[in-house]
Amino acid sequence: MKISVVTPRGELYSEEVDYVVVTSKMNGEFAIMKNHIPIISTIDTGYVKIIRDEKELFTVVINGVVEFQNNVCNVIAQEAHVGMNKVSAMDHLNTVREERIQENKRRNVDFLLAEKELKKSVKDSKAGNL
Amino acid sequence: MASMREIKSRITATKKTAQITKAMYMVSASKLKKAEGIIKSYRPLVYKLREMIDNLLASDDALSHPMLLEREKQVVCYVLVTSDRGLAGPYNSSVFKAFTAFVEENHQSNDEFLVATIGFKAYSFAKRMKFNMLNEEIINVRDDIQFVDFKSVIDLFTKEFLNGNVDSIVVFYNHFINIMTQNVEHVQILPITNGHKQEEKTKDEKDLKLIYNFEPNPQVIIDHLLPMYVENTLYGMILEAKASEHASRMTAMKSATDNAEDVIHTLQLHYNRARQAAITIELTDIIGGANAVN
Repeated sequence: MKISVVTPRGELYSEEVDYVVVTSKMNGEFAIMKNHIPIISTIDTGYVKIIRDEKELFTVVINGVVEFQNNVCNVIAQEAHVGMNKVSAMDHLNTVREERIQENKRRNVDFLLAEKELKKSVKDSKAGNL
Repeated sequence: MASMREIKSRITATKKTAQITKAMYMVSASKLKKAEGIIKSYRPLVYKLREMIDNLLASDDALSHPMLLEREKQVVCYVLVTSDRGLAGPYNSSVFKAFTAFVEENHQSNDEFLVATIGFKAYSFAKRMKFNMLNEEIINVRDDIQFVDFKSVIDLFTKEFLNGNVDSIVVFYNHFINIMTQNVEHVQILPITNGHKQEEKTKDEKDLKLIYNFEPNPQVIIDHLLPMYVENTLYGMILEAKASEHASRMTAMKSATDNAEDVIHTLQLHYNRARQAAITIELTDIIGGANAVN
């Protein structure tokens, strides 16, 4: 079976796997194996465990949908990150989010300051009244 | 006629401006390419989500959600999507123009609606027009936008809607058609309309879609899917707006560069004429002087 994980930034990955385990805070845990009947489920915060040749890979997901049909598992996520284990992947995702939000705040302030300065210099240089 | 030196300095100044606008043009062009790519990879995601919701709703008529219910429109919230920076041609002003025209047509006073802004320009516009604002802080749209940037603000919109403070949310944004054309469009994102029921499906399709299993049950899934869908739709619109911004800035900067080149050309002509005149004056002076000596 195939799995493809899609986020707003594009396809995260798409690969051939043995089976997947979907875990979410809200719905608990279940596995989807080959030839499963078509199913749709959601993930609020959780992860999709991908198993292939006894090797595990974790995709942490924030707000996502899992759809399975014709041996293709589509995961549509608002945010997702792939990692070797769930804790580190989740931590990574969270820190990235946190940093991004902080950076946005900082940029907001910088932008306002720059805008203010621009206004002041336009006024000082009397560019408006020729 | 202006002196040669004056004309010369104007030529240099215009050349420098042209250089800047040309650089901005090229920057926008490359950013536009990127933004277009993002939209292209993003669109299927929303379609897929929409398809799932339609399937889900079609499977069971008893399913419902507050986001699907049309309410009496007492308070409408308008979301204006613009850019942070200017110099993008008619990009921002066309949104404002469309919005003011719309408001004049549909509302008597500013108290009947709320305005939410995305982008610094929209924020200052709303402040200037003294609209009632939904968001107090400025939401910036950077060039490399990500989903996280708008998560909190979109959450705010949906919360206001679900609390009943707002009965409908309409987004004004620049729809990206191609590099030359961007249209201002207004789309209602909440409540979710143009629903599943209008769509006529063939029987085969219906049978095919009914066999889905829902884990744990359809209602839980719809409760989760609909807010997600709204978030994703709005994010898609912001992406479109971003691409439009780059396209608009690109064309604006292109024409600015062309204009600057025209100006330089005319100035060069003036300069040559002035130079020629100066030479002629010099010559007549010399000849006159020589004649006087003889």
